[in-house]
Amino acid sequence: MKKVGLDTIQRMLREQGYISERGIAMSIYLSMKLEKPLLVEGPAGVGKTEIAKVMARALDTQLIRLQCYEGLDSTDALYEWNYQHQLLYLKMNTESGVSKDELERSIFSERFLLKRPILKAITREAPPVLLIDEVDRADEEFESFLLEVLSDWQVTIPEIGTIEATSRPFIVLTGNRTRELSEALRRRCLYLWIDYPGYEKELAIVRAKVPEIDQRLSEQICIFMDALRQMKLEKTPGVAETLDWARALAGMHLDHLDKQTVEDTLGVVLKDWQDMRHTKDALSELLEKTGVQSRIG
Amino acid sequence: MDVLLSYQTSLSANVVLLCRYLRKNGFNLSSTEEAEALRALTLLPVDSELLFKEALSAVLCKNRHQQSRFDELYTEFWDQLERAANSKVKDVQQRKNNKSEAQKKQEQFEALKKWLNLSPASEEKEVAAYSDLEVLGKKHFNELSEEELRLMFRLIERLARRLAHRESRLRKPAKRYRNLDIKRTIRYNMRRGGDIEKLQFSQRKQKRLKLVLLCDVSKSMDLYSRFFVHLIYAFQNAYDRIETFVFSTALHRVTEILDNNPPGEAFGIISERVPHWSGGTTIGSCLNRFSEDYGYSLLDKKTIVLILSDGWDTGHPELMRTAMRRIYKASKKVIWLNPMAGSPHFSPEVTGLKAALPYIDVMASAHNLESLRKVMRELGKRRSNAPAIKFPQD
Repeated sequence: MKKVGLDTIQRMLREQGYISERGIAMSIYLSMKLEKPLLVEGPAGVGKTEIAKVMARALDTQLIRLQCYEGLDSTDALYEWNYQHQLLYLKMNTESGVSKDELERSIFSERFLLKRPILKAITREAPPVLLIDEVDRADEEFESFLLEVLSDWQVTIPEIGTIEATSRPFIVLTGNRTRELSEALRRRCLYLWIDYPGYEKELAIVRAKVPEIDQRLSEQICIFMDALRQMKLEKTPGVAETLDWARALAGMHLDHLDKQTVEDTLGVVLKDWQDMRHTKDALSELLEKTGVQSRIG
Repeated sequence: MDVLLSYQTSLSANVVLLCRYLRKNGFNLSSTEEAEALRALTLLPVDSELLFKEALSAVLCKNRHQQSRFDELYTEFWDQLERAANSKVKDVQQRKNNKSEAQKKQEQFEALKKWLNLSPASEEKEVAAYSDLEVLGKKHFNELSEEELRLMFRLIERLARRLAHRESRLRKPAKRYRNLDIKRTIRYNMRRGGDIEKLQFSQRKQKRLKLVLLCDVSKSMDLYSRFFVHLIYAFQNAYDRIETFVFSTALHRVTEILDNNPPGEAFGIISERVPHWSGGTTIGSCLNRFSEDYGYSLLDKKTIVLILSDGWDTGHPELMRTAMRRIYKASKKVIWLNPMAGSPHFSPEVTGLKAALPYIDVMASAHNLESLRKVMRELGKRRSNAPAIKFPQD
């Protein structure tokens, strides 16, 4: 693996189009060096998942993703036997005179083992990036199971034995705070909170990701989004929404915002009808803010 | 790690001191974190203070709250250290802390003594006759005698306990022949040669529901609050995870008080601690407070929110509406127990309550046991898509 320093990470993040504060690079760097998982929390759409993707690209390794959901258990996360395949194999070989022991050994071999993300990640030769997405959606039982794997770095399969990790993946856990994560998990991780970006940072992100956008339009979009986030909405739009919107408007070859366009395209940004209604009511006021400030800027 | 800990430069000593300082301010740090912080520092160039601080923040903070407080504490710490300059300060500080600790203990002791004198522990009698309970079912809570009340509470406790267990989507092996588990069946028989000899079954895992209780203790609820506190107790005993809040003009978390004290005493303690007990109500702002401060960590789709209040709100109805909407969206179910709903002349005309109505799954009177039982039945059911507002009448 490449030697990676703090400034390399910062440079790589920038090259990958990930605009970040200094703290983010530091957290990534330390989690790699100290070999601790990185727990990233923050509101939806601020680029939590993106961190893992950028890390994988920057390190030039594979990204293995485990999406968590309620009811996720070890057969989805770790391994499972390929039962159908095993049955077929047995049927095919019962006539051929292979001894029973031989047969048993061959059914419970790696050939019939379906590796799920976690097992896949720790048995790679080069350490990959393992992204455990929205870990707070999984049940608490899964959390403790995860802790076990993360501290022992081995997986025991009754039929085969213990599989030792050949590599320690870089682990990124993300969470939306839908559930408070256990203290034990927190302690094993480095913690990073990412908030909505400020105006300057968001502008930089928009320009990096949507380079074809008009300068004035991008400024107006970011001011508008900033003002929008000040309102008390059900679902506050994240950076992902800003980018969608910027792309949409840039695709329409606009160079500034006006009331009609905003009204027509608001569905790109807001995903809740109540928010939609509130925003439409307050639209003139919001736009006034946007217009006035952009003239000064 | 051992090597690192053994060579103590003044820097590493200071880092350890910083950890100690953070610990005093509620950071949960063990020697592992200290060692890790020191290790992190060896990975960095020594000349940048900003990097130094960032690295420490990355290693030592374990949640959002800590991350936002770190900067302030960090500055405070170095300020103090600078002012101290000599080693004396540490001693002084420690002495100060000891003193405050002793004071605290004394206070706690005094308080304890006071409570004990005020309400001597009541011993509950064992009275159990099911027929009695049936008669109790229809009696209004206001008309109950002391003895009957006690019976009532035991019944409530039983109901609450039955509700505490629900089924989860995760499955576990079962002995009973109900649902065939194909995966496990094949796997089991595979070990024994491949012919299906024995079937394996599974059943759903039990899942515990979580409960958040929000209890109105304002003047208008005075008559009922005694009963409600007992109701809270019944739930508290039956559920593992239950959070209790009381509110009138402000919101107070009382989970711990209820956990650590017997029923008779807890009631007194809460009314002592909570100012404005039996004062006016601003339900809207209290609920808002709740959803802002605790919503994230307490509410999820396994949580039932139980609000005990008459809905007399002196605040703005809009506030009520937004708060209720937020709570409704984040929870499994919102149940509003309203003692006034038991009177035949009741209709939800109170403006605050009107605003909240669309976000209530079940609105029920809680004036007698019969009605409570109905509520209990509703607790477990799934929320239908359109919020159905029901008034279980007897």
